[in-house]
Amino acid sequence: MQLSTRHVLDRAFSSLGIVAIALMGAALVLLLGPIVIRGSGALVFRGTVEHRRLMLELFQRGDAEELDEELALARKAREPLYEKIAECEADLKSLGFARRREVRGALHELKEVMRELLGPAPGTPKPVMPRDQYGQTRWERAELKLKDVLFIEKWDYSDPTQMGKKTLAPRIEDFKGTPLETNGFFTYAETHLDEMLRPNWTFYWQFLTDRSYDAHFFGGIWPEMLGTFYLTFGAMLFALPLGVIAAVYLTEYAGAGPIISGLRVCISTLAGVPSIVFGLFGLAFFINTLGVSSSKSVLAGSLTLGLLVLPTVIRASEEAIRAVPKTYREAALSLGAGKWHTVMTVVLPAALPGILTGLVISMGRAAGETAPIIFTAAVSVGQPLKLGQVFSQPTPALPWNIYNLCTEHEAVDEIRHVQYGMVFVLVGLVLLLNTAAIILRARISKKLHG
Amino acid sequence: MQRLGKLLGESLLFLITATAAIAVFLIIFFIAKDAWPFFRTPGMIGEFFGSTKWYPSREPAEFGALSIFVGTGLVTLGAVIVAVPLGVAAAVCLSDLLPFSVRQLVKPVIEILAAIPSVAYGFFALVVFAPQMQENGGGMLAVGGWIVGLPIGLLAAFVLSDLSSTRAPEKARIPVRTILFLLLTALAAWGLFLLSARLSAITVSSGTNALNVSIILGIMALPTVVSVSEDALQAAGRELRQGSYALGATRAETICLVIIPAAASGICAAVILGVMRAIGETMVVWMASGNAAQIPTPWYNLLEPVRTLTATIAGDMGEADHSIGSLRYTVLFAMAFCLLIFSLLCNVASEYVVRRARKKLGG
Repeated sequence: MQLSTRHVLDRAFSSLGIVAIALMGAALVLLLGPIVIRGSGALVFRGTVEHRRLMLELFQRGDAEELDEELALARKAREPLYEKIAECEADLKSLGFARRREVRGALHELKEVMRELLGPAPGTPKPVMPRDQYGQTRWERAELKLKDVLFIEKWDYSDPTQMGKKTLAPRIEDFKGTPLETNGFFTYAETHLDEMLRPNWTFYWQFLTDRSYDAHFFGGIWPEMLGTFYLTFGAMLFALPLGVIAAVYLTEYAGAGPIISGLRVCISTLAGVPSIVFGLFGLAFFINTLGVSSSKSVLAGSLTLGLLVLPTVIRASEEAIRAVPKTYREAALSLGAGKWHTVMTVVLPAALPGILTGLVISMGRAAGETAPIIFTAAVSVGQPLKLGQVFSQPTPALPWNIYNLCTEHEAVDEIRHVQYGMVFVLVGLVLLLNTAAIILRARISKKLHG
Repeated sequence: MQRLGKLLGESLLFLITATAAIAVFLIIFFIAKDAWPFFRTPGMIGEFFGSTKWYPSREPAEFGALSIFVGTGLVTLGAVIVAVPLGVAAAVCLSDLLPFSVRQLVKPVIEILAAIPSVAYGFFALVVFAPQMQENGGGMLAVGGWIVGLPIGLLAAFVLSDLSSTRAPEKARIPVRTILFLLLTALAAWGLFLLSARLSAITVSSGTNALNVSIILGIMALPTVVSVSEDALQAAGRELRQGSYALGATRAETICLVIIPAAASGICAAVILGVMRAIGETMVVWMASGNAAQIPTPWYNLLEPVRTLTATIAGDMGEADHSIGSLRYTVLFAMAFCLLIFSLLCNVASEYVVRRARKKLGG
């Protein structure tokens, strides 16, 4: 091979590595981009007047008088639409029997969509479900709903070899020969959405601390947040003492021998057990055998999660304890301190930042794990728990509810913003913890080297 | 008295430390205990491993999990194909090519990739990636084909033209080489055009399929592969590199022909750990694999939905835990048992490989 070829190959090889790194970075950006951008949309968005009405009626937030004024304006802007529908209804008699049935059906559909967009029409009884009592609270959802008012989705299955094709047919075609075709209902709706819903930029930070209303149609994610906190702290309460003591034993007391190396193999095996197996084990052992609670509970979930992060805590603490210079121990021992005394007063305090780093990383791990809590702790819908209830009650938790809302919820598309918001909060939480760990580690290495 | 106290204290410490070990045995025992009734049922083992008919809720129920095993293997294989080349290339880059300051920037990226919860990956796979794939799957495949194929084609053309031009007489070497290079490049481009035309004609009927899951699982396994193989590459030592450079090898030759073979067992351990990560992952496959208990036709068709062991356990336990002890319940423990045994074997294998590597490099 010629030398120039070898050089070219060398360059190509280097760029291959750089491309791999770049791809990794790109994957991270592609992954976090939508989550951050659309997730922050759960907190900051253009809220309509319906959102403010909701806040006042459900959470007693905002100024009632101001809202009344605004609502009056919005109602005034909506009035022409309802009048135009009434005009069409009054005109029904002039139609032939078959056509009248058709138009009545189309009108019913139109009113339904209008209710989804603007809330219940004036004069109609208050619907039972909270989700039906309000119009669109978010402007971007309102714009989508407006499309539903103007167009009807139709699926074309005429070509059997292909998948059905979606086409949009103008809704106005359903009302041929009625006043709705000519009285400008649809153009009015299209051009006056602004005045009817009055969007404003809203910073809804209470998303984090509000309980959810009507299966996450409205409100925030407090029960999930609280559940995740309980589970994470419970897991740490269990794993931290065990992990640190084990690390102390392994570094300070244990000699070399088949038992100790067996122990080490067991710890690394525990780290390799798939998380779903932990979940089954938690169900079979903590709940069905030990009976720590009669069915799913935060306690059972915490114990399972604690077991899951135990190897991480042990490893991190072990590393931290090993990093404490030998001179510290020798100095303490030469002053006459016993071994246990040395460990407690000299070694552990010196290793504390490192142990904390491990703790923080394991917390992130425990907060994000879903599989172990499916059978041991998580429920889809629930109230925020009081501290005393954690021993017997299951809880909603962020990771589980993300899964649940985006696969099993009855209106998956309507509450995308809540799903993104939850993912954003969970990822944010985990990354915050990891950043803290990275900073902590940087400070330690500075301290040890400086 | 004091010695007795010391002994007591130490044994207490030992007992607490042994919790982790006890936990491992408890896990194996309790999973096996609930899986045992399933395996004991006459004819079940044959059906479980040999049949593809998975109808746990039908009367009479059928528990043929072969397609589920194949699905698990398929997505794991896909994840390995994504993660290993990328991961090893990135590890080489980190250990040998990048200056220290850039490395400090890349490390957090890997850490963040490792820290993101699996449910967030699953959400991304289901809500962002799957619709994209369904809509322009063919186009994505074609672009992927170009990205992978173009550099390989160019390099192959370059090397081939170089190798074959050495036979030509001295004077004609450069023109022969140029012509050959152009010819081969044209050939490669033509092949790629044909390939991309075929790929872009593919319609992806569902975005939740094995390919989607494989890519996401590959990204999730990347951090493990990168960090373990980077450790292995670093452990290969400076003398080895310097020796190779002294013999006149370029950096690429040194890495490919000397360092990577020396670090092979460490890289092997990295692959095993990556496999473990992919095979034990639940949320991503549950959300985005389509959960269809079928063997794709042909078996390597990654564009069809599959079902994996972990997703089956997670998905079916909700209905099965009302009937503790029934076959429907125990079959899930049987699956968990298989997963557990597999991960134990992987763990032992990776320990063994790492230990052997340490011995080899140390002595």
